[in-house]
Amino acid sequence: MKLGHRTGVLLTATVLVAASGCSTKAQDGDDTATTAEGEVKTGRGIEGNTITLGVLTDLTGVFAALGADITNAHTLYWEKQNAGDKVCGKYTVELDIKDTNYQPAQGVQLYSGMKDSVLAMQQTIGSPINAALTEAYKADAIVNIPPAWARSLTELPGNATPGATYDVELTNGLSYALEKGLIQEGDTIGHIYFEGEYGAGGLEGSKYMAEKHNFKIVEAKIKPTDADMSTQITQFKAAGVKAIALTVAPTQTASAAGVAATQGLDVPIIGSNPVFAPGLLKGPAAAALKKNLIVSSPVNTIDKHPELLEEYTAKFPNVTVSNGVVLGAGMSDAMRQILDKACENGDLTPEGVLAAKTSLDNVETDGLIVPLNFTQVGQSPSRQNFILQPADVPGGAKALTEAIESDDVEGLTK
Amino acid sequence: MTTFLTLLLNGLSLGAIYALIALGFSVIFKASEVVSFMHGSLLLFGAYTIAQLNAEIGFLPAVALGVAATAGIGLLVERLLINRLRGTAVITLAILTIGVDIILVTELTRRIGSDILNVGHPWGGEFVRLGEVGITENRLYAMLTAVVLMGLFFVAFKFSSWGVAMRAAAEDGETAALMGIRRGRVSAVAWVVGAGLAAVAGLFLVGSPTPGVSPGVTSVALRAFPAAILGGLDSTGGAVIGGLIIGIAEALASGYQEQLLFLGRGFGDVVPYVVMILVLLVRPSGLFGTKELTRV
Repeated sequence: MKLGHRTGVLLTATVLVAASGCSTKAQDGDDTATTAEGEVKTGRGIEGNTITLGVLTDLTGVFAALGADITNAHTLYWEKQNAGDKVCGKYTVELDIKDTNYQPAQGVQLYSGMKDSVLAMQQTIGSPINAALTEAYKADAIVNIPPAWARSLTELPGNATPGATYDVELTNGLSYALEKGLIQEGDTIGHIYFEGEYGAGGLEGSKYMAEKHNFKIVEAKIKPTDADMSTQITQFKAAGVKAIALTVAPTQTASAAGVAATQGLDVPIIGSNPVFAPGLLKGPAAAALKKNLIVSSPVNTIDKHPELLEEYTAKFPNVTVSNGVVLGAGMSDAMRQILDKACENGDLTPEGVLAAKTSLDNVETDGLIVPLNFTQVGQSPSRQNFILQPADVPGGAKALTEAIESDDVEGLTK
Repeated sequence: MTTFLTLLLNGLSLGAIYALIALGFSVIFKASEVVSFMHGSLLLFGAYTIAQLNAEIGFLPAVALGVAATAGIGLLVERLLINRLRGTAVITLAILTIGVDIILVTELTRRIGSDILNVGHPWGGEFVRLGEVGITENRLYAMLTAVVLMGLFFVAFKFSSWGVAMRAAAEDGETAALMGIRRGRVSAVAWVVGAGLAAVAGLFLVGSPTPGVSPGVTSVALRAFPAAILGGLDSTGGAVIGGLIIGIAEALASGYQEQLLFLGRGFGDVVPYVVMILVLLVRPSGLFGTKELTRV
């Protein structure tokens, strides 16, 4: 029994250590001195001719596949840029990539390890992690690109949200459906949304449209862990909905589309951009999704960027390509333009980069993501969205439109 | 009426899956007095293994192997951990299962990523319609399988020597041991059965109307907990009834959320726990649980 006890203690200890995970904290050299590099002022995050940008991504947690796509696209973009024009004609960009496992505590710890050596953050994935780092980013004058579109993220001047916020997104989606005759004025629309900011943002959009076009919204709030949408769809059917709006994750989208087909509820489904993943087209709901789902997205599809697709698959073979690649490339292009502007202003210090970011009112990324306006704090950086539809193409979706701005959006963003 | 019947049928089919999981909890608790907090990871492991193997060896062999592999994990945990620590405080063993759960889920989540693995059930997303009421074939088979498995289990429980041994061990462990019943073996078989049932539940949980294997599946195990507890943790029959009650209550509360708006949105999520608390207030040992008597 003695041995048993000892073994037990040892095992419990092993379990706890393994469960808490190990993290390595990279302490890079402190480089905060401001030196004059020709005409351009530099500071933290630039050593010699190298700019270091931080990447806090998720390579092992719930958003691992998306995190990998976005991060790989950053790598591809900067490799190409470093071999070509460089930033400011002389600086190459190096990425300090760290995996947060989608854990805010891990994110904060990793950031404190890299903060003395990065000029800005090329990516911070996940609303909880962004929220946890808000104060630190503010204190360190960090320009950060979060691949998330919650309104609260736009409150921080340093955040360069890569597209329209969720409320604008759904407004554009519903407006498109209305224009194409998929829904009519006065229709009843069922909206399934996540609790929390993402869902609330989408709901704000559908409620705004309801007021404007006399829709009646039947709400169904769910948790991200709910995977079976049977009861929600039953409720919608009883309420006689003519369309379904979604501000959820791909799991719920597939379930909602599948159940709607089961119950003979053949209506259009309008979703926010995170509702879709190409993996859904391999599942049983594929036919229903291809027929009824349209997605309002700040990001274009990869089949519209064949060159990027080709370069990406050449560098990263054997991976399923998602539109996260387009997002990653677009985020890098936006960062490049911010850095170029700072260079033009002669100030590549973190403060200089922040000033450059807040002065850019029209960032065009060659159609990768919608045009962006970074000047207004607390406002959606864009009023435009692409409308996508699931299809058997690389990335799993085709673009039905170019970036469009519906007439309805104006009242929402005033 | 159609809405009510649809919700009821949905609730029943969901309840049947909960019942399979709760039955696992209950069997394990009865045999080894351990509350297994690792059922979430067992569900996910079962579903993941079946999904991975299906592409290679076909559906039925994949199911057989997946269930066997999951049962194997149950056996391993029982032999390597639970059995060796027999006599340790029950809470230690329960926490130990949490540790194993975290390790398994972390690894499986890493493997799955944000992808949604499709199991490739032969029935896919097909559905059957009974008049105005529709249900997916997957859920229908889930109900049938649950009924068959539970029937088999109760026959085994009543008539097999393992069933008798288990009931004796649960009634009075020490006396049973003195009578020559090998508690270790009873406990090992219980873990195998509990884990196997979790894999079967996992197989149906990740089928239509749920799109596939994603790490979120683990949370379902948490909802089966109230089912087992309100039925009476040491009552296998109670686990089944508890599963059905929770499934139906959850389906009705989510389906009628507009009408139940005064209770707040998302009431369906808390219903399993509300029902559990209400039942425990009236019957502290659950509906069919053994009343604990402590003489002072």
